[in-house]
Amino acid sequence: MAGSRINISAGLAVRIAFGLASIALAFLLPSLLNPYRLFLATLIVVFATAGVGLVIIMGWTGQIALAHAAFMGIGAYMTNWLFSDVGIPWVFSLVLSGLFAAVVGALIGYPAARLRGFYLAIATLAFAELITRMFVEIDTVTGGISGASIEIIQLFGLDSDQSHWYIAVILAIAVFWGAHRLGTTAFGRCLRMVRDAEIATGSLGINATNYKLFAFAISGFIAALAGGLFGQLLTFATPDTFRTTLLIQFLVVVFIGGVTQLTGAAVGAVFVITSRELLQDVGDWQRFAFGLSLVLAVRFLPGGITSLVGLLKGLRRTDAHEAPTVARAQ
Amino acid sequence: MVQQIIAGLQSGSTYAMLALAVVLILKATDVPNFATAEMGLVPVFVIWQLLDSGWNYWLAVPVGIVFGVVLGLVIERLLIRPILAESHFASVLMTIGISVVLGSAIQLRWGSDPRRIDAPFSGNFQIGGNYITYDQLMIIGLGVAFMLGLLFFFRTPWGVQMQAVAEDRVTPRLLGVRVGRVFSVSWGLAAAISTVTLLLHTQASVLTDAAAGPLILKAFVAATIGGFGSATGAFLGGLALGVFENLSGFYINTGSRAAVAMIFVVVILMAKPEGLFSQARPREV
Repeated sequence: MAGSRINISAGLAVRIAFGLASIALAFLLPSLLNPYRLFLATLIVVFATAGVGLVIIMGWTGQIALAHAAFMGIGAYMTNWLFSDVGIPWVFSLVLSGLFAAVVGALIGYPAARLRGFYLAIATLAFAELITRMFVEIDTVTGGISGASIEIIQLFGLDSDQSHWYIAVILAIAVFWGAHRLGTTAFGRCLRMVRDAEIATGSLGINATNYKLFAFAISGFIAALAGGLFGQLLTFATPDTFRTTLLIQFLVVVFIGGVTQLTGAAVGAVFVITSRELLQDVGDWQRFAFGLSLVLAVRFLPGGITSLVGLLKGLRRTDAHEAPTVARAQ
Repeated sequence: MVQQIIAGLQSGSTYAMLALAVVLILKATDVPNFATAEMGLVPVFVIWQLLDSGWNYWLAVPVGIVFGVVLGLVIERLLIRPILAESHFASVLMTIGISVVLGSAIQLRWGSDPRRIDAPFSGNFQIGGNYITYDQLMIIGLGVAFMLGLLFFFRTPWGVQMQAVAEDRVTPRLLGVRVGRVFSVSWGLAAAISTVTLLLHTQASVLTDAAAGPLILKAFVAATIGGFGSATGAFLGGLALGVFENLSGFYINTGSRAAVAMIFVVVILMAKPEGLFSQARPREV
């Protein structure tokens, strides 16, 4: 008993130390890295944040949702439009765009609640296509096919790169924390039940349709929040930015990282941004590499990189369990 | 108007043929193949390469089709069969991944410049004041032929086995159906169909690495209209989609053209998800 208590407090101490170190790192990073590296770090944080939305809808709720890139587009365009044309403060613009995307997400979720498997893939792809089509048509907001330049924001006393970094970190902490809380509540467990045993939900009084709608709305909300900041990093957005090329990158983010784990989104974001960077000089190979990563992940590593950790832990545990069995056999 | 409908039937037939390839694979292996168009585009680029080095058209095309079939078989054997036991989730992601790999492989090997494939049949003729090109005649005619061929095929022992396997993978095996071979046949056949489709489509317009992307979603929309189980439905769905697209592009504006397919699929999936051409089947509980 005493041992376990010491264990817990030691674990807590490690956690606190780790948390403090991370906060210190987040504060110090802008002064440690050159602006370009800082930009990349910000991009990783933004991709990880957007990935959380996909983890919730695909990993937890088990719905194939292929409109994530389009949702990021809604966030990017609408935040910028509300901020620079309508004149609403940036933070409120971001949240408003998020809420709007949540409504659109629920709209997509409505037919989705009745569709399963690949029908859903087609429906969400078609919706994504419609949304990017709208980006081309409503050119007063989006600048049409030629795109819109994004008005860059600056926090007081900081340059734009540093501002982006701090905003990205705050947003990521909020989203990851919120999603983590969500995942541990009854709500999160119900989402997983919709995924694993949808037929049984009815008999337990769980309305699977509502949970799917919520999951789509939350996923859209998070995508748009990340998208608003992604627009800031892009400085210029065209409708083509939010098509399949970006979607594929997000599929790689969650499926290389591990689609059922929040940490998977973070790991996947590091993977994608790093490979984008390494393959930058050989542009066409980027797409090839992402396609191949997706194929290999589905084929050989369905749980993503984070599942390797569990696998290693599992190995250690089976070793511990096997030892007495061997002894008993002898 | 008639001219627009003919042009619509041409693009519609392209969607319809690809939709047949989608339905074929779905019927046999229960895999929604999002790589269908790219699986046809790679061999078309091979055909272009052969033509470029001086081959005869009627020699290059069969070689290209054989290449396409082999590609389809290899993909099925190496990447699809190992994940068949898993859900649509895995197969959707897998085939999306494959389409990206094939598409970017084309880009890496042949670049993005537009190319032409010169068909030995070109030109047009006139019926009642409307021009019809031989390309159009070929695409529409082959589309009908493929559909009838598939309908016939589903009645042959091979086709019956295929449908049995799609329903249930275990029982047919007990009855002596070689499930693996059924999978191979369906993927090989679908690869051949999409090669021919992409060939006709690109030689009527231009051959670029971007030719496959817009087609695949249209093919899925066509198959959705038909309800995925039905070859006739998928074919008619493709034709309807092509005609409606062309008419809206002509009478409303070009922007509306792109939205037609999406509105089609959204409306049908919400109103009658099982498609217009198949009976509803109750979901098993």
